Amino acid sequence: MGAELNLTDVRQVRGGREVLRVDSLQVASGEHLSVLGPNGAGKTTLLRLLAAVDSPHSGAVTVDGVGTSRGGVHLRRRVAYATQRPGLLSCSVRRNVELPLRWRKVPRRLRGELATTALERLRVGHLADRPARALSGGEQQRVSLARALAVDPAVLLLDEPAAGLDAQSRAAFFADLEQALADRATTVVQVSHRAEEALRLADRVVVLVDGQVHQVGSPTVLNGSPADASVAALVGYDNLVDVYVRPDGAVVVDDAPTGLTHPGPAGPATVAVFANGVRLVGDDLPGLPVRISRVTPGPGHRVVALDGAASLQAQLPIDAAAPVTGDTARAVFDPSLSAVIPTAHGQHFDPAPDADRPRRAVARP
Amino acid sequence: MVEPLYEVLARSAFVSLSATLVASVLGIGLGTMLALARLPGRRLLTAVVNTGMAVPTVVVGLAVALVLWRSGPLGELGLIYTVQGMIVAQVLIATPLITGITMAAIQLLPAELPDQLRSLGANRAQLVLRLWIEARLPLLAAAMAGFGHAISEVGAATIVGGNIHGHTQVMTTAIVESVGQGEFGVAIFYGAVLLGLAFLINGLLVSVQQRGTSWARS
Repeated sequence: MGAELNLTDVRQVRGGREVLRVDSLQVASGEHLSVLGPNGAGKTTLLRLLAAVDSPHSGAVTVDGVGTSRGGVHLRRRVAYATQRPGLLSCSVRRNVELPLRWRKVPRRLRGELATTALERLRVGHLADRPARALSGGEQQRVSLARALAVDPAVLLLDEPAAGLDAQSRAAFFADLEQALADRATTVVQVSHRAEEALRLADRVVVLVDGQVHQVGSPTVLNGSPADASVAALVGYDNLVDVYVRPDGAVVVDDAPTGLTHPGPAGPATVAVFANGVRLVGDDLPGLPVRISRVTPGPGHRVVALDGAASLQAQLPIDAAAPVTGDTARAVFDPSLSAVIPTAHGQHFDPAPDADRPRRAVARP
Repeated sequence: MVEPLYEVLARSAFVSLSATLVASVLGIGLGTMLALARLPGRRLLTAVVNTGMAVPTVVVGLAVALVLWRSGPLGELGLIYTVQGMIVAQVLIATPLITGITMAAIQLLPAELPDQLRSLGANRAQLVLRLWIEARLPLLAAAMAGFGHAISEVGAATIVGGNIHGHTQVMTTAIVESVGQGEFGVAIFYGAVLLGLAFLINGLLVSVQQRGTSWARS
């Protein structure tokens, strides 16, 4: 059984500075919510409030209607919180997993069975009798997660659960996590600064920047319609380009067409484009005039740095004709891999030198 | 009448071990509280504890004697020139040391550990117990330091106990007395025996410490 989480008018202050402000956020029972944000955005602060480790400076945080500041140990025992550092105790792996069960007065025999099941589900059953602190980082993360899952919590809070793992280990870890959660109705809140992790397990994603909620939506909505430039950057758009939307809907940079149209009102806007949404066409075709400044090989593709009307990063298939550094071309954006964000929506991108006709465009490093 | 050595030795061990036991309970409790709790006056209390670690034992003995003296505030208890009075003095000597080391040991644990334990569902008693287990090595070191401090001190034992033969004489006061009488050979012998006793008791504590390590790992 999961639990419903509710945050209302929550403010958290640290050192006299407001580090988190959430006016209203509900998480349904059994929902998987991801919190995406850069370092220092307030993600861990939010998790600590939900875990009843901290109390909010003002406002209310409830789990199934019970305030976390009043719920005490009974409420904390419905919530499992896997912190960013695995925080394993100086005893065996098995004892680490059994300890929270013992605190919940689970009979000894059942404790052993639950610990074994949880460890095996995370593929660390063979490490049960090893000293926990002698394990590798990846193994410790798995044990920490097994410890959280063994108590069959109503709410599972995961703070960057794969932090410190290499790409391959992260992928395997998330595959196992996904499987471990598949047959559970647990409410899951996971925080991450990596879009691929945040979007993977989520029914909904909350984007936090500077302690404020910038957008809440499904992974599809976030991918297709980021609310502002900071959200687009976090979601993983490689290019953020200052553009102008003409009254006829054409999206241009310095009168050069981008290949996009936008039905919204005319005016300055930002276009977010994935690198593989930047197409290079011949000089004689409509598009942004660019010069190829660098070509670097990547796995299965080439990364092409462009400057000119816009500083862009393009990603071309490895089997396409190799662009030559110094050559000129035109760049257009694939509408299915781009999003137009009107400036009025509160984007945090650097303002253009000319507010009416922006000129500058920047590729994210 | 000369008291047999083993009786003096047994009394020394009894006084210092009793004092260490009481001081460990007080010091580990107080040190944990100072390390974890956000109390008003915590800094002042910490400064007092740190000062207590450096107070000469003879000054502690003087203070205890004044309190336990027959005309003193606790004179009615009749503890002056008794083994119990000596234990009280040694508790006061060992407690600040054990408190200070405990506080440092708890504070040296990973900062997120208390929150981690809370989030795993530990109540307050379970949390503190687990912190002690995690800090078991320095905590046993604290107890050993407390015992070392207690068994080696002479000032408080002399003032509060009075070095009464067959009653309150302990190894350190016997050594001082022998030196005063010019019996250096006896004093050296007593010193060697005292060292042996300290070695034996610390050896036992180390073995408990190591067994505690393997137990906690299992």
